Amino acid sequence: MSDATSAFVRNARWEVTRLRRSQRVWLFLIPAVAGTIGSGIADLYLHVPSIATAEVLGLLITAGLASLVALDLTALAVGEELGLRTHYLTFALPQPRVSALAGRITIVMVGVIGSYGVGVFGVQGLATAFVSAASTAPPPILVPSHLAIGIVGMLLFLGGVTAAAAAVTRSASQALVAGVLGGVVAAGIGSLFLIEGRLTPLFPLALAVAGLAGFAWCLVRYDHMES
Amino acid sequence: MTLDGVWKRYGDHDALRDVHFAIRSGESVGYLGPNGAGKTTTLKLLAGIARPTRGSVRVEGLDPYRGRSGAGRHIGALVETPGIPPFITGSDLLTYVARVKGHLSGDARDAALRAANAMKVAEYLDRPFGTLSTGLARRMMVGAALVGDPEILLLDEPTLGLDPAARQDLRGLLRALSQKGLTILLSTHLLEEVQEVCSRVLFLRDGALVGDEPVNSDASPGVGQRVLLLRFATDVPSESLTRALGTGFELTRDAAREFRVRFSGGEAEQGAVLAAVIRAGLPLVSATPPEPDLARRYIERVGREDTQ
Repeated sequence: MSDATSAFVRNARWEVTRLRRSQRVWLFLIPAVAGTIGSGIADLYLHVPSIATAEVLGLLITAGLASLVALDLTALAVGEELGLRTHYLTFALPQPRVSALAGRITIVMVGVIGSYGVGVFGVQGLATAFVSAASTAPPPILVPSHLAIGIVGMLLFLGGVTAAAAAVTRSASQALVAGVLGGVVAAGIGSLFLIEGRLTPLFPLALAVAGLAGFAWCLVRYDHMES
Repeated sequence: MTLDGVWKRYGDHDALRDVHFAIRSGESVGYLGPNGAGKTTTLKLLAGIARPTRGSVRVEGLDPYRGRSGAGRHIGALVETPGIPPFITGSDLLTYVARVKGHLSGDARDAALRAANAMKVAEYLDRPFGTLSTGLARRMMVGAALVGDPEILLLDEPTLGLDPAARQDLRGLLRALSQKGLTILLSTHLLEEVQEVCSRVLFLRDGALVGDEPVNSDASPGVGQRVLLLRFATDVPSESLTRALGTGFELTRDAAREFRVRFSGGEAEQGAVLAAVIRAGLPLVSATPPEPDLARRYIERVGREDTQ
């Protein structure tokens, strides 16, 4: 294994240890479990007119929960040890910093998106089970399959903004605030496009690209950190 | 390890100014200076945490900042006081460090245990950092620096927060490591720590190196020797004191009414010196061990702040 690969793997493992020891690993259950349950309750009690609308509703609930988990865990993965100055220890170790941090962020993002993915299947299953298809129902405001994929772009955006903010502020709490603000702005712009009928797949794609750029910037900044 | 014409600038402040020194393999070097002198900055440069603004830093021939993976394998470093998340256990941390230093799974746990044993913290390995006392956490951190049996140790106030017994233990360990041939750079405010562990001392003031000399100078007592500072009420001719003391004593005049007497032996010989002076009727006011030589040199080189 190259230095970069082994640093990636060892730090991914370190992030798993951190998540396990801090009990934060349970947060990964929230989008999958709470998202599905919340969606099921909405299906049963909100008289949703169609399966597709029920899916949209469930996806928004699951996405909201996944966003909160993504914000929290990304902020902590990057900002917590910078705030505590643990990096005075880890920066002196023989490993490329970029690969080390990338390994840790990957665990968080794969965990969040994976949990969201499980939630999506749960939402679809419950919508099909609890909502009866009516031919007269109005079409949903969004195509559920497009929304399901588009939300991944949103999660990447939130993770990227939060990671970049954590590298600047060196504080998990301040990074979390920055991520929430980023999410509010993105949701506002998305809603505006929806109302104006201009919401296309380019929007979540742009969010994903911005998020990946945020991660890249965070890694570069982390690599050059000196104090 | 070498620093060659190194400058480090933070904003408009020069933390290091044209610092040159080389530390040979197996040397134990104390690094002394007041707060803000640039000691930690130097350690950061050597550990690859920061890079010099100008000049060159080499560890085992490698640039520790650009060639982190190479130089870092030779180094065990404790720089400042890194905080560890309170839920992480000593075992988690030391095993992680061992893995990063290239140990495989079972081997990594063994390496972690060896380092913990050296610092006498093995029984606390499974406790989260949040439940450890400051001293235990510090010992665990020094243990992290020892993981993987590095050839070079960079230690920044390693005994900070340790109780006297733990300090003594750590100094003993550092002496043993030094005798084994480890290269040690020890930044501290405790002069006795340098005296006990190091053979050479570097003095730093305002980012500039102002002294590079052996820890034991000509004025220090040698092995099995003592030095007494005799103060008299009036001027005393050297000849009178030489006559009173007889042979086996080395006499130097420090000031008009002060003499430094060096002799071999212990308390009995010290008693003999005092008895001889009193017998000769010389107006002795006090007889005290002189201010430790390293302390005197520290004050001469860097000033009064921070000496302990």
